[in-house]
Amino acid sequence: MKLGRRLAALGSVLAAGALLVSCSGGGGGSSAGEVEGTLDFYTNKGAWEPDFEALNPLSEEAIGIDLDIASYSDQPQYEAFIRQSFRTDESPGLFTWATGPQLQELVDEGLIAETTDIWDEAIEEGWVSEDLKQYYTYDDKQYCVPLNIAYWVMYYNIPIFEENGIEVPTTWDELMDAAATFSDNGVTPFYTTSTLFTFVWFETLVAGTDPELYQGLETGEVSYTDPRIVEIMNTWLEQEEAGWFTDPGSTTDPATMLNNGEMAMINFGTFFSGSLKGVGMEPGVDYGTFIIPAVDPGLDKTPVPVETGPLCTAENSPQRERGLEYARWWMGPEAQGAWNSARGDVPFNPQAEVSDEGLAELGEEIASGDYELVTRYFEAAPPPVLTVALEQLGAFIANPGDPLPYLQTIQDAADAYWAEQE
Amino acid sequence: MTTVRKDTYRWSARGFIAPGVLLVAVLLYLPLLWTTYLSFTEYNGLGDPDWVGFSNYIDMWRDPAMVGSVLNTLMWVVGTLLIPVGLGLLLAVLTFDLKGGVWLRLPFLIPYAVSGIGVGLVWSFVLQSNGALDQALAVFGVTDPPRWLLDVPLNTLVMICAAAWQGVGVNALLFTIGLQSIPKEPLEAARLDGAGPLRLFGSIMWPMLAPLTTVVVGLSIVGSLKTFDIVMGMTKGGPGRQSETLAVTMYRDAFVNANYGSGSAIAVFLMIVTLLASLLYLRRQLSAKHEF
Amino acid sequence: MVSRIIRTIVLAIAGIVWLAPVYLLIVNAAKAPSAYNPRESWVPDGGALLENFAEAIRLSGLGDSVVSTLIYATVAPGVAVIVGASAGFAIVALRLKHGFWWFVFLFGGSIFPLQMIILPLFDGYSRTGLYDERIGMILIYTAISVPFSAFVMRNFFTGVSYNTFEAAVIDGANTWRIFTRMYLPMSASALVAIFILQATFIWNDLLLGLTLSQSDEVRPIVTTLAGMQNTYGGAQLPTVLAAGIIVSLPTVILFLFTQRFFARGLALGQY
Repeated sequence: MKLGRRLAALGSVLAAGALLVSCSGGGGGSSAGEVEGTLDFYTNKGAWEPDFEALNPLSEEAIGIDLDIASYSDQPQYEAFIRQSFRTDESPGLFTWATGPQLQELVDEGLIAETTDIWDEAIEEGWVSEDLKQYYTYDDKQYCVPLNIAYWVMYYNIPIFEENGIEVPTTWDELMDAAATFSDNGVTPFYTTSTLFTFVWFETLVAGTDPELYQGLETGEVSYTDPRIVEIMNTWLEQEEAGWFTDPGSTTDPATMLNNGEMAMINFGTFFSGSLKGVGMEPGVDYGTFIIPAVDPGLDKTPVPVETGPLCTAENSPQRERGLEYARWWMGPEAQGAWNSARGDVPFNPQAEVSDEGLAELGEEIASGDYELVTRYFEAAPPPVLTVALEQLGAFIANPGDPLPYLQTIQDAADAYWAEQE
Repeated sequence: MTTVRKDTYRWSARGFIAPGVLLVAVLLYLPLLWTTYLSFTEYNGLGDPDWVGFSNYIDMWRDPAMVGSVLNTLMWVVGTLLIPVGLGLLLAVLTFDLKGGVWLRLPFLIPYAVSGIGVGLVWSFVLQSNGALDQALAVFGVTDPPRWLLDVPLNTLVMICAAAWQGVGVNALLFTIGLQSIPKEPLEAARLDGAGPLRLFGSIMWPMLAPLTTVVVGLSIVGSLKTFDIVMGMTKGGPGRQSETLAVTMYRDAFVNANYGSGSAIAVFLMIVTLLASLLYLRRQLSAKHEF
Repeated sequence: MVSRIIRTIVLAIAGIVWLAPVYLLIVNAAKAPSAYNPRESWVPDGGALLENFAEAIRLSGLGDSVVSTLIYATVAPGVAVIVGASAGFAIVALRLKHGFWWFVFLFGGSIFPLQMIILPLFDGYSRTGLYDERIGMILIYTAISVPFSAFVMRNFFTGVSYNTFEAAVIDGANTWRIFTRMYLPMSASALVAIFILQATFIWNDLLLGLTLSQSDEVRPIVTTLAGMQNTYGGAQLPTVLAAGIIVSLPTVILFLFTQRFFARGLALGQY
């Protein structure tokens, strides 16, 4: 520790020498304290940059703030950068992050600016539903505001469904029958990949079979080698062996694959609509969405995985006030309406206008009470377990076989993690 | 023959080497010291690092994927010496005395100029299942092609080939510079004496190429030991962790898992291996002539 | 003579095969995103190349970063080449004491993975005001180019006869003069080669650009492109490929132009 400090000090001295060469000071936070002005905004959702920029004229008029966007394409690198930035003067006034353990870690360290006022106001105005609040609450205080909300549902190619005479399934059995029919007709039913989004079908199967079992994985109470999990994996294995999934060796963009009919369905978050727009698919004409029925028909409520990403402000940022002001504006209907038309997303603000009818209906249906929101696996699993789980599920997808060794490796990581938490 | 005394230029020599030493020391070695320090700590990027002594260095060998990672890295070192370096030399020797040799080398150089994004994208759609390569093979009647990026160790081999696609031209360029510095007279004389191309190469070109060969082989060893981009771009170390190299393993620990201590330990290990490999190699190559 | 013709033909064919991925890059970058079919990657289809170029430029806001990237890719390798040559000169011609170890020190700067130093670099940069400044980018790009350049130049100079140096000393030239008037000019081809390779590397750098800069005016070009496609959706493959081509064009042109330089086949043996 002492050595570290000394090294850091030495570094600062030497780098200060280098500073003499450079003429002016750092980039962003020159106008500390002032609320109006340009806000440096850091995001890992680089693809959304044009959409954020589209909101600049609006925010400038409303609150006198515009965003200067720095986008990162590599998720781990982005996280490392943000973590490191809290130690410096560059800690961001506004940045995207992930809810769940990732956010908790920052809140525990006291690095995030509180947003309780903003939430109180938003809830009073009816800008956001109470349900969403839990993802942003630690010790009864709120931190960050929602950037977006995405439900993980099934997207399907409408012409392919029609050609094969398949109706939108309303029960798990109907979904399985549909998959079997597609498979018999030479159409691959489902999309799969062996990198990153490897957890999707696992999540759907486990949560749909038993939401408590799913939650047990999150809290460490259920082992990944639990017989019930093994059984679910074996079901998945049978489906793999029946050829129900696309080739995991394909790296083609899934939107392109759905457009070309390489598969009939894909289980994805509702932000996928933006990608489908990119390949020229029309909602309601070329593709539709449905909520995946629960595997166990006996469940009271059908679980729907939900993902919500936060917009956060660093507590010690020189642009703290500016960031919070933007966050306040962001929650409002004006910003959310504009965001929805720029991005084509489900807005979290019920007062915002939704241009995509399918998504609007989906949002209303989920709000109807027959559904139970469950946290997406990506935010539910503790990060060190998540890393291993994504890798092992990817390996299982690439080389389907006895699931036990894969599950055992995940459980080893979980054991190590939970042992450290005590 | 007049000899310039060794120490005559002591200050002058120091002056000439100073700018390089300063730049490298401040901007590369200083941050490296911090990394080395971190390797003895547990650190999640927030708060302060906790000193844990050598435990990161011990724990990393408990990770079963680490052994695979070391073996893959070795495969990269050997593969890179055989394919991009070997082909580069061949290309340089075949073209350097040809009219239009420059233009014949050009197709091999262009891939180097293609940006990393382009290379990663192109090769993943060449090698993915039902990708461009499989489509081309189908024309020749191969209906069940190998799963290029999913099966071990095939995926590492094809990634080495993709790396070779980008690197051969540069190696050829460096070898060509070497060949051009060879005096023409002995070559011509040997040729008039009826020496065949193999003997010309073996007895004249190869020895004279030594300085440039040292450069190319040295860079190739160092570069392949820290192979990262192409693996991240094409398999992300998968499926599972089967195609990880040491640099990818380091990245996974430090960045993906926010475990900077253990990532740094792998980095330091990798660095020591690289340093030893290059020292052993360079000393043998360089000391013969220039050890003062 | 016959063998030369055969060699030429074989090499030309190999060259064409080598360019197949480039062909794929161009052909697929010219497809309309909505009609793009990865199953027909070899078939040229449609002339949407210009539209895709325009879309790529619009999406990434490339315009801003061109100037700064040009500055980085010329100034940094330019300085590094001279710095590296001067180090090589000190070690080989001036016979710097413990020259081998100084050389190892410089070369050692290239042996560790860059990923491992970007975080301390960011920390140091943000504390000294170098973060998000062009001068900061130039400094780091120069530093990472020095080891390679010193390595090549050191080895290049060992090929130069020591008599050359002694003769110049007898003529009364000082070391600065010998370096600038003799050693630098005679190593032109090596200097140019290093310059091109490093310029290309810097032009294509993603890692340092991402970590050490933020604003559009300072961020290098590839960084702005990289955000175009990720898991949260974004540009379609043809557009991204088109962006890849735009970014690659300057370096390809650089290679094309400097080819003439290597064609002269500098007869270095005379020294």
